[in-house]
Amino acid sequence: MTKRNAFMVLSSDEEDEKSSSKLKSFFCRSDSKGQKQPCFSVPRSRSCKQSRIADEFELFGEDFKEVFTGVKVSNGSGTGTRKELWADRYKPCTFEDLAVHKKKVDEVKAWFEQKIQVSKGNHDSNVLLITGPAGVGKSATVKVIASHLGAMLFEWRVPTPTIWQEHMYSSNTGMQYISKLDEFEIFVERIRNYGLVSPSITGRPLSPVILLIDDLPLTFSRIAYTRLKNSLHLLVRSACSPTVILITDTDHSDSANDTTRNFEELKSFLEEVGARKISFNPITSSSIKRTLSKVCKQERCHVTAEQLDLIAKASGGDIRQAIASLQLFSINKNVSTNPTLSDSAERKDGNPSGILFGRDETLSLFHALGKFLHNKRERESTDFLDEDTFPIRDKFSRLPLKMDSPEKVLCQAHGQARPITDFLHENVLDFIDGDAVDDACVVLSYLCDVDVLLAIHQKNFSKNSDTEKVLQSCAASIAVRGILFGNDHPAPPRWHSIRKPKLWQVEKTALHNKDKLLWQRDKFHHSSDLSVIATEYTPVHRQIQHKQPDIRSATSMENSGAAGDGDDDTSMETDAFDDDEIEDW
Amino acid sequence: MLWVDKYRPKSLDNMNVHEDIAENLKKLVSEQDCPHLLFYGPSGSGKKTLIMALLRQMFGSSSEKVKVENKAWKIDAGSRTIEIELTTLSSTNHVEMNPSDAGFQDRYIVQEIIKEMAKNRPLVDAKGKRGFKVLVLNEVDKLSREAQHSLRRTMEKYSSSCRLILCCNSSSKVTEAIRSRCLNVRVNAPKEDQIVNVLEFIGKKEGLQLPVGFAARIAEKSNRSLRRAILSFETCRVQQYPFTSNQAIPPMDWEEYVSEIVSDIMKEQSPKRFAYSYTSCLCENFTFIIRKIIYISHCGDYFNFGYQPDTHSILFLEVLVVHRLLCIFCIVLCRLFQVRGKIYELLTNCIPPEIVLKRLLYELLRKLDDELKHEVCHWAAYYEHRMHLGQKAIFHLEAFIAKFMSIYKSFLIATFG
Amino acid sequence: MAPVLQSSQPWVEKYRPKQVKDVAHQDEVIRVLNNTLETADCPHMLFYGPPGTGKTTTALAIAHQLYGPELYKSRVLELNASDDRGINVVRTKIKDFASVAVASGQRQGGYPCPPYKIIVLDEADSMTEDAQNALRRTMETYSKITRFFFICNYISRIIEPLASRCAKFRFKPLPQEVMGSRISYICKEEGLNLDDEVLSTLSVISQGDLRRAITYLQGAARLYGSSISCKDLINVSGVIPPEASEALFFACKSGNFDLANKEVSNIIAEGYPVSQMLDQLLDMVVEADDISDEQKARICQKLAEADKCLIDGADEYLQLLDVTSNTMRALCNMPEDFTYEA
Repeated sequence: MTKRNAFMVLSSDEEDEKSSSKLKSFFCRSDSKGQKQPCFSVPRSRSCKQSRIADEFELFGEDFKEVFTGVKVSNGSGTGTRKELWADRYKPCTFEDLAVHKKKVDEVKAWFEQKIQVSKGNHDSNVLLITGPAGVGKSATVKVIASHLGAMLFEWRVPTPTIWQEHMYSSNTGMQYISKLDEFEIFVERIRNYGLVSPSITGRPLSPVILLIDDLPLTFSRIAYTRLKNSLHLLVRSACSPTVILITDTDHSDSANDTTRNFEELKSFLEEVGARKISFNPITSSSIKRTLSKVCKQERCHVTAEQLDLIAKASGGDIRQAIASLQLFSINKNVSTNPTLSDSAERKDGNPSGILFGRDETLSLFHALGKFLHNKRERESTDFLDEDTFPIRDKFSRLPLKMDSPEKVLCQAHGQARPITDFLHENVLDFIDGDAVDDACVVLSYLCDVDVLLAIHQKNFSKNSDTEKVLQSCAASIAVRGILFGNDHPAPPRWHSIRKPKLWQVEKTALHNKDKLLWQRDKFHHSSDLSVIATEYTPVHRQIQHKQPDIRSATSMENSGAAGDGDDDTSMETDAFDDDEIEDW
Repeated sequence: MLWVDKYRPKSLDNMNVHEDIAENLKKLVSEQDCPHLLFYGPSGSGKKTLIMALLRQMFGSSSEKVKVENKAWKIDAGSRTIEIELTTLSSTNHVEMNPSDAGFQDRYIVQEIIKEMAKNRPLVDAKGKRGFKVLVLNEVDKLSREAQHSLRRTMEKYSSSCRLILCCNSSSKVTEAIRSRCLNVRVNAPKEDQIVNVLEFIGKKEGLQLPVGFAARIAEKSNRSLRRAILSFETCRVQQYPFTSNQAIPPMDWEEYVSEIVSDIMKEQSPKRFAYSYTSCLCENFTFIIRKIIYISHCGDYFNFGYQPDTHSILFLEVLVVHRLLCIFCIVLCRLFQVRGKIYELLTNCIPPEIVLKRLLYELLRKLDDELKHEVCHWAAYYEHRMHLGQKAIFHLEAFIAKFMSIYKSFLIATFG
Repeated sequence: MAPVLQSSQPWVEKYRPKQVKDVAHQDEVIRVLNNTLETADCPHMLFYGPPGTGKTTTALAIAHQLYGPELYKSRVLELNASDDRGINVVRTKIKDFASVAVASGQRQGGYPCPPYKIIVLDEADSMTEDAQNALRRTMETYSKITRFFFICNYISRIIEPLASRCAKFRFKPLPQEVMGSRISYICKEEGLNLDDEVLSTLSVISQGDLRRAITYLQGAARLYGSSISCKDLINVSGVIPPEASEALFFACKSGNFDLANKEVSNIIAEGYPVSQMLDQLLDMVVEADDISDEQKARICQKLAEADKCLIDGADEYLQLLDVTSNTMRALCNMPEDFTYEA
């Protein structure tokens, strides 16, 4: 997988030799270190991957302009040369330019003002956590506010990765390889000890100082993750100037991905230790359109309102993407006489993927789940008279679906089989009519099949990724179609919220309790079976203790409730998020 | 200390059940030619006790001085290193562990760690006695196939320096290769009268007055598990003393929970509940009932009444007419949802899902007609098997419950409808 | 420390025939092999047949008779299933062994010592198909200097290209008399007392598998000393006493579910292995005269399914209960399909 990524980058970015070679080396390095990003089999559309890589590329490219030190001083916006990306040139510098929702901006600004005013003797944490999808203007907002407040903005970015060859070279000369995580730790340590006042700018001590930490270093192993967490904890506790941490949300559907899950966990962890959290939503298409038309005016290129609309919609709330598309589109228009966009057939479709470089139509996972669960069907079968169809027994025939084929929807939602199944399992009962136990039985037995299918791969450790892919997509397909088929009597349509699978939390708690049991076993019962301890010893201890609380306090086992508490906040938040999604329908 | 531990026989000489096995084991040890041993038998039958007594017989009291060690092992598995944490219990002469704790990495434990332990044989002590080490492996039946294969290899390779004592519940899950290399010792669950004897023995030691038949009732409830019997005996003692002959023997809390689940899934369908459930349905889901009635009236011609939602009295009558049908239908799915919550609760407390399922079946079989029992037990077996194939037990447990509800519903319709 | 711990040689090894002609009951095989021994020219060989009929014994005996104890180590490679037998291992081990050339054929110390090496692959049917294919290549490459002896229970699990390169020998299961004489020989050597009833029980429970019979005998001798009863043997072998299995079968016939359930719980509580129970149930069903073929088929199908489930790790109690309930329904002519299934 990693190798293929590297290949794609090479082929798609030819403009900047230097950085692409750098990129390549980055990938090579991660490759040879064996740190693979966990790969997934459900086909994710190609363009999405490209756009992700493009993001990364942008980041590295910017990085490359900086010196190799991690901290840089930024002073708002630059003037820019001809060759600049439009997204850089039209970086917002005033509040009016910001496409972010005004309320959010005000929220952030208020926080900054408060922090700067009472920066001394304040016991609250000085850390603000901003989350949101890529390209919604997280860093832009901070920069604008910083320049508005006249504050110095120090920025820590993911440092330029050491090129593998370079590392090989320097290891010969005795230099040590420093990982990004190491650098981050050093950085945190430094600002804890010395503050941000570096010798070069001590001359102007008066202006307030803001520290911006753009994306955190990626962590792959559990150990690295714990290290990162520790240093973040230190940072939150002891940061003396207002510090902003940006975390880019990745797709929820990736929650099986370790890295993503780590980020999710980090978020809740940061909040727990006292950081303030503000999450940004995708930018509305109307405000993207506004920005785009402004850009158009300045660039003096003519794009129709309709086209702007398409670009804005296709960007999926990512303004950076929108501007990039616009730039590309205008270039394209200049060279090609017959731009694809004005193709009337395409437009009639109303299909925004007609634009070459839009984000493809990503259905959010929840949207797709809703589609499956609601199981909307036509009133009557259209192919009644079709001679070719096989006669199907009444019991098994269903009316045609009111949606694309489920596999297509799945693909658009980037659904992974496992989480999709978990979600469906959690929610499907709400959508089945109250008396249709038979339906519930059919649906659940399909889900049970899916579980078996998904387990096959895990148990066999087969190295063959092809079979895994097939298995995964089959499983997803069975889950979805099983639910569509089984739910013959959908509940009358009413407002449902889609819950996050409780199963995840249950599993976590169960694991936690199992550890406790193991510990107990080692202490008290000489290596009996775990199940015996769980089913016999522990209940008896509880019963006895209930009567005589003083005797065996050591062996007490608290009920499971407490262990799950840490998770509650996040799940509530997801609920809120889900509600938003559902209102849209 | 619990009575189970307090009154556990320490040596082969004073076993209170399985005296015959103890006798044979003694003979085996005295011949100084102890083969590998495989103890198998149901839970609570006394395998552990026998093994510990056997160790004592071999090594004297030094086998009781155990220390618990939790050690992380680094294992080089081809391209990568794997870290496995394993807790062992060891004395100078024996090591005890549960290799199945490592989950799917159990193979490495068997291959590497056991090898490591088998290699460093203990020194000959002053009297020149017992130059071998004993490895006690618990829950061998839970080991994966690969691990069992490696175990076989280990047995052959290190048989000069160590002896294995394996312990498991079901010997059919241990491969033939291992079984044939061990001396198999079947430890059957003690008979009920044996359990009664043990309980009376403990009662005497504790100076308790046992009403007639009390011990027998505990034994009957214990499902022939001695451990279980002693545990519930002690619980009874704590809950109420002096005993009364009709004192309730408390079930384990999770068992109570399971029986709650069972009554939950059968509740709405029980005839006694008709009146209640129909009124509650009326309040909860009024429109739903109206819809149902209209539907019925459209389908069957014999309901010839005008559709007047405001005339409650007519509706009420009609509701009464179809109440039986309705109540059967009203196995409201939210029940299934509540049941899910309860199962989650059980799973978080680490009750193994197959035990939950077995208990469910047990409770169901108690309450069902003969006709249904075959069907229900078939599905229980089916879903339990699936549970082992799959990953997430909840899916299969729930599928079983839904299956049961669906079967039960059509049974009720066939019988009453 | 060695003096304390006697190296207790398993009787299976101790009484393993050292010469091909001593192998019991496999007359045709022995005749053919004796010819081979005389000419010292042998093809690749494939021995198949049920366990405990002398396949490994024969293979080892040939090797011994060809090379004698001195050369044996350097000329013969034994690999069995418990060795790690991935493709790579097969390749490297066999290659390493086979690529060292041998001196030309010189009779040494009365042994023929033909100029090739022998590789004995025990339990070859548990090799993966990939490994077998890899082996095929190896066989061709080194065919001049090596001979392969494959040993397996099921010839159908050996891929055709391999099987066709070998001379195949089928080993028959041992009849009671042959086994009886062998066992009584061992008893005499070891000083055991066995009456005829015990002998016949032993051959019944070991089902023509001599190795198993000897293992049981040794186990029983260890546990119970020199006088061994039928019960002792049954106890050691893990076979379920006929009374228990008959009780279950009777409960099935009665048509009373609760009774059957009680029997099943009883069997579990006694700790009898359920896979063994299924085996014995199968025997009983197949041999019963008062059951129609259709009923037998129904029961056997379920037995097979349950066996597979057990291998997958399913719960013993539930599977046995399912089998029992199914058997009961077949025996009492209850409909095969469930009535209330949606």
